[in-house]
Amino acid sequence: MKTISKLLVALVALVSLNSCGYNTMTEKEEAVNKAWSNVENQYQRRSDLIPNLVNTVKGYAQHEQSTLTAVMEARSKATQLTVNAEDLTPEKLKEYQAAQGQVTSALGKLLAISEAYPDLKANENFKELQAQLEGTENRISVERRNFNEVVGDYNTYIRKFPQNIMASIFGFEKRAYFEAEAGSEKAPKVEF
Amino acid sequence: MKRIFSYIIVTLMLVTALPLVAKEYKVEEVPMVHLQDKTRYVSNPDGILSAQAVNTMDQILYQLEQKTGIETLVVAVEEIEGGDCFEFAYQLGKQNGVGKKEADNGLVILLVRGERCVQFVTGYGIEGHLPDAICKRIQERTMFPLLRHGKWDEGMVEGIRAVNTYLTDYDGWKASEANEEGQEMFAVFIGFAILILVFFIICYFVVREQTKCPKCKKHALQRSQTRLLSKKNGIKTNEVVYTCKHCGHTVVKREQEEDENYTGFGGGGGSLGGPFVFGHGRGGTFHGGGFGGGFSGGSFGGGSFGGGGAGGRF
Repeated sequence: MKTISKLLVALVALVSLNSCGYNTMTEKEEAVNKAWSNVENQYQRRSDLIPNLVNTVKGYAQHEQSTLTAVMEARSKATQLTVNAEDLTPEKLKEYQAAQGQVTSALGKLLAISEAYPDLKANENFKELQAQLEGTENRISVERRNFNEVVGDYNTYIRKFPQNIMASIFGFEKRAYFEAEAGSEKAPKVEF
Repeated sequence: MKRIFSYIIVTLMLVTALPLVAKEYKVEEVPMVHLQDKTRYVSNPDGILSAQAVNTMDQILYQLEQKTGIETLVVAVEEIEGGDCFEFAYQLGKQNGVGKKEADNGLVILLVRGERCVQFVTGYGIEGHLPDAICKRIQERTMFPLLRHGKWDEGMVEGIRAVNTYLTDYDGWKASEANEEGQEMFAVFIGFAILILVFFIICYFVVREQTKCPKCKKHALQRSQTRLLSKKNGIKTNEVVYTCKHCGHTVVKREQEEDENYTGFGGGGGSLGGPFVFGHGRGGTFHGGGFGGGFSGGSFGGGSFGGGGAGGRF
């Protein structure tokens, strides 16, 4: 008799948890984490391209040492800063975004000065790096937008009644969005 | 009076001139020819490309899909809303779900003549097979020199040809797919071989048993005489005399066989029952591809894109 009542309680709990969207909340949270790791991957991809790019430019534009150093510094700062998907507070996200924004603007400058070196512009290696960099910037913006969509979905879900009660009990918190920032938002302009 | 008349003429001219201004397409307004006919991939609503060029590209892309499974969408338009070629091409791929869902192997190739831009967008699954740098290389070496001179047909066809060559030359496809297929084929072949072998062995023993002489146990019986006993309902009954070559012993057996010349009911081979209906085209290529007919509409499989590819202006 006791086991039956226990089972019944478990069943009721299961059904009610399900109806209050605990499982859905978990799924949506997982989707947010996945989207975040995609964003990080793309930024990482860009970081990986930078040393190669800097070395290629170095061979042609020795006078631009300061710009090259700026890129490398911004890169190392940005790679030091990793944010775990679980503690993605608005402040941390902002910090992350600022660091990556530094890289973006430094890269923009680097590509701008490379315009002045026709030999560099004609270099096959440089051209392909530029293409990869451009593709990576596109990927970053796609993944960031995707992240915002997924976070938006999750946030609206956990704030709706009755999920909000469950969410507060089980500690599902509102996640931060990427914000479009003036300046850092712009992809390096690559003219062909 | 004259003035009013000239006003009217000017207004009329303006009105008739309006449609000549190129339409700025929205992503969802671009016609998807592939949905009507799954052998077509090139959407050319403004007639920038000639019918012949479109046809050539369709053929190349159909072959490409047969070989690698890659679903391609080619769009050539005059103007796009917003003027952002990457964004437009990306949305074309995303909203139409170009590429198969599991493989994310969609490819979008966009030409916007007014923007003078070409943009490739690769699905998640083929980013590795067609890297951005290769997209760029194909554009810069093959397409842009032609497009710069207004050779729209040549530029696009050569570009698609180059993409096709690059993708089909990629050994990874063949190796991975052929391997799996090859192994499967091998297993099936072995199975058949064993079956056939067993069949032959059984036949051999059956025949051997029939030639065994009951007296001297040697396999030397030979048919020496056949006599027809009866012919009924298409079944012939024969009396066959076997003589042993070894000891001269004779065995008489009654054998029945179907009369080949019998023309009663149920006789005669005739043709296979009814017209044999089969669909052509590979049904599995497109998800939900129509009714299995040859030229019914296809559909895109819902692949997703991560912003791979490259683009540029010429």
